[in-house]
Amino acid sequence: MEKTVSIAGRSFTHTDIVRFWVIASLAISCIFITSISLAKHVETIYAQLFYFPILYATYFYPRKGLFLSGACAVAYEILAYIYVFPDIGGMLYTTGQAILFVLVAAVVMYFTEKVNLSEARYRSIFENSLLGIVLFDQNSFSVQLSNTRLLKMLGYDTDEFAKMSFADLFYSREEQRKFFELLGSSQDITSFETRFATKGRAPFYVNLSWSRLNGNIVSCSVIDINQRKIAEMAAEENSYQYKQVTESSPTSIIILREGKIVYLNPAFRKFSGFTEEELLGSELAGIVHSDDLKAFPDTSGSFDAKPLPVVEEFRFRTKSGDIRLGALFFTRIVRRGEPAVLINLVDITEREHLKERIKQDNERRRGIISTVAHELRTPLQPIMGYLNLLTEDPKAYGVTDETRAILDRCAKSVDRERQIINQMLELSVLDAGKIPLRYTRFTISDLIRGIVDAGGYVTKAELAIDIPQEVVFDADEGKLSIVIDSMLSNAVNYSKPPRKIRISYSTRPGDAYHRLAIQDNGIGITEAQLDEIFEPFQLPDSASISRKYDRIGLSLSIAKKYIQMHGGYISVDSVVNLGSTFTIHIPKQRPAEAPE
Amino acid sequence: MSHKILVVEDDQPILELMDLLIRKLGYEPVLIANGVEALESVTADHPSVILLDIMMAPINGWEFLERIRANPSTREIPVIIFSATPQLEEKVAELNDPKLSILQKPVKFTDLKAGIERVISK
Repeated sequence: MEKTVSIAGRSFTHTDIVRFWVIASLAISCIFITSISLAKHVETIYAQLFYFPILYATYFYPRKGLFLSGACAVAYEILAYIYVFPDIGGMLYTTGQAILFVLVAAVVMYFTEKVNLSEARYRSIFENSLLGIVLFDQNSFSVQLSNTRLLKMLGYDTDEFAKMSFADLFYSREEQRKFFELLGSSQDITSFETRFATKGRAPFYVNLSWSRLNGNIVSCSVIDINQRKIAEMAAEENSYQYKQVTESSPTSIIILREGKIVYLNPAFRKFSGFTEEELLGSELAGIVHSDDLKAFPDTSGSFDAKPLPVVEEFRFRTKSGDIRLGALFFTRIVRRGEPAVLINLVDITEREHLKERIKQDNERRRGIISTVAHELRTPLQPIMGYLNLLTEDPKAYGVTDETRAILDRCAKSVDRERQIINQMLELSVLDAGKIPLRYTRFTISDLIRGIVDAGGYVTKAELAIDIPQEVVFDADEGKLSIVIDSMLSNAVNYSKPPRKIRISYSTRPGDAYHRLAIQDNGIGITEAQLDEIFEPFQLPDSASISRKYDRIGLSLSIAKKYIQMHGGYISVDSVVNLGSTFTIHIPKQRPAEAPE
Repeated sequence: MSHKILVVEDDQPILELMDLLIRKLGYEPVLIANGVEALESVTADHPSVILLDIMMAPINGWEFLERIRANPSTREIPVIIFSATPQLEEKVAELNDPKLSILQKPVKFTDLKAGIERVISK
C-alpha cells in the first residue's frame, strides 16, 4: 500500500503529489513560453505544448484533466487577447486552438474512463468470481496470474502461490499424470474432476476447465466441488451401509404403503418362503394366519392415523403352508415423501417351540419329583408306624429302656427323612411359581408365641422376646410361621448349651419394612458360606458340622423364597463362634395386586 | 360298640401296620386292598371313618370318593385321605367337602390317633 499525505483534509499519495508537480510545471512552462512567443512576435505559436500537461493530467485524472484543459484554454485566450488583439484572424485562430484543448481533453477523458471502467469490470469479475481462475504457462507450468478465490480454496497467500508450479497443485502423482495427458491432447477441456492439495496437503476436490489464450498461456477455471464430493461420498457410504444392514439383517424388514409391501429384505423372503416378485405389491395381511387377521392393525394412513401397536405377535402362513410366529414392531415412517409403515419382524417360532418344550420338561420334572416323593414316603409309613407302636407301649412288646432310646433315634431319623421329602416337594412347587400367598392381618407377637410353644423352644434355649404387642403384619401367616420356625430351629441346631436366642422387632417411621431379627450364640457362618446357605442342599461347612449337628438342608432356601414372594428379603450378620443374626425384612404394605 | 374303620389301601405292608395301629387305638379295622371291593364294604359295613389311599388301581381314591359321595347312604361318612401323594391340600380345598380331611403319609402314631379322634368326636 502506497504512503499517503493528508492536505486540507484530503489524502494524496506520493505519486499524486509528483504528478501534480509535473503537470503544474508543464502548464506554467506552456503559459510562459506562449507569452514570450506572442510578445516577441515569433511567427510560430507553440500551442501544441499545452497538450503535454493536458494529456498527462487527463490520462491519470480524467475529470481533473478536463478542468485543466479549460484552465489552459482560458490562459491561452487571455494571452492572445493581450498580444494579438485586435487582429481578428489571429484571434479566431487562437480561439480555435483553445477550444481544441478542451475537445481533445474531453475525448481523452471519455476513452480513459471507458478503459478504466472495463478494466475495473474485468478486475471485479476476476477477483469476485465464484470460480478460482489461474493463468499458467503450458510449458513451464509457472503461475502467471490467479485470483483470491483460488488462493482461499487452497489456503495459500499471494506470494506463496506466485512461486508455485501449477503441476504441483495436484494431490497425487496419478492425478497429475491424468492432467498432463489431457493437457497434451491440446484440446480445450471442460469439467475435469480431480483433486488439488491444500497448503496443509489435504485433498481438495475440484472441477477444472481450461482453454488456451495466446501463446503458451492457459486460462484455467477451478470449481470448488469439495463439499459436494464429500457429501456424495458420505451418502454413498450411508446407502451402502444401510443396504448391508437391511440385506444381512436376521430380522425381517418390511415397508408397507397403504397395506401393500413396497420393500422387503432377504430375511423376510426366508421367513415367508415367497419370492420378492410374489410379495412386492401384495398385502402383508394376505399371508397372516386367518385367526390372527382380526387383530392385525390397519397400516394405511399417515402419522395422524390410528396409533399402531408397538409390538405384537402374529402367525403367518408361509408358502410351504407352515405356520410361523413373528413378533412385529410397527413404526410409521415417511418413504419418498409418502406415509408408510416400517415393520421389523423377529421370527419367534423356534423360541415358542423352545418355551413349550421347557414348560413340558419342567412339568415332567415336577411329575417325576412328585412320583419319587410318593414312592419314598410310602415305605416310611410302616417303619414309622411300627417304631411308634414299639415306643408307645414298650412293656407290651418287651422293649427295654435302652432299646427304646435306640428306637427313638430311629424314629427321629425317619421323621427327618419325611421332612426332607416335604421340603424337596415344596421347593419344586415354589420353582414352578404355583403357590399363591394368602394375605391376612395378624399380630406378630401372638404368632411367635405360638411357634415357640409348638416347637418347645423354651425347653431348648434361654429365650428373650422383644416384640411390641401392637405390631400387626399383613402377610401369609402360614408361610411366615414356617420361616420363623426354621430360623428358630437352626438357632437351636447350630449352637451348644447354654443356648441364648433373642427375637426382636424393629422399624423406623417411614420405614417400608417390618424387621424381625433372630439372634443366636451359635457357631456362626463364615463370609464365604453366607452366599451358599440359601442355596438348595448347601450347609455351613457340611463336611464337619453335619456330623455334630442336625442338617437343615432346604429350610433356608424355602424361607428365602417365601420372603421374596412377599417382596421382602432375609439378611444375615454373623461372627464365627459368637453367633448369627438372621433378619427377616417384610414389607408393611402388601403388593397392590396381592389377593386377599 | 367300637367304631369300624375302613382302610382302603393297596400297599400290603401298610395294610398290616394299620391293622395293628387301629386295634391299638381301640377301633375295629376293616382292611380292603381294592377300591371296587371297598365300595361294597362301605354299604355293607357302614364304617365310622374311611382311611383312603389315593394311588390305587383299578379305581383311584378320588374316584372312590366321588362314588360314595354320590350315594345318599354313604354321603355323610367322614373320609381321611391317607396318602403319600404330594399337594393333596390343593385338591381337597377344591372339593370343598366338610367331611374330608388329610393325613399325609408317613403319619406318626400320635397324629393318626388325633386325626381319627377329631373326626369321630364330631
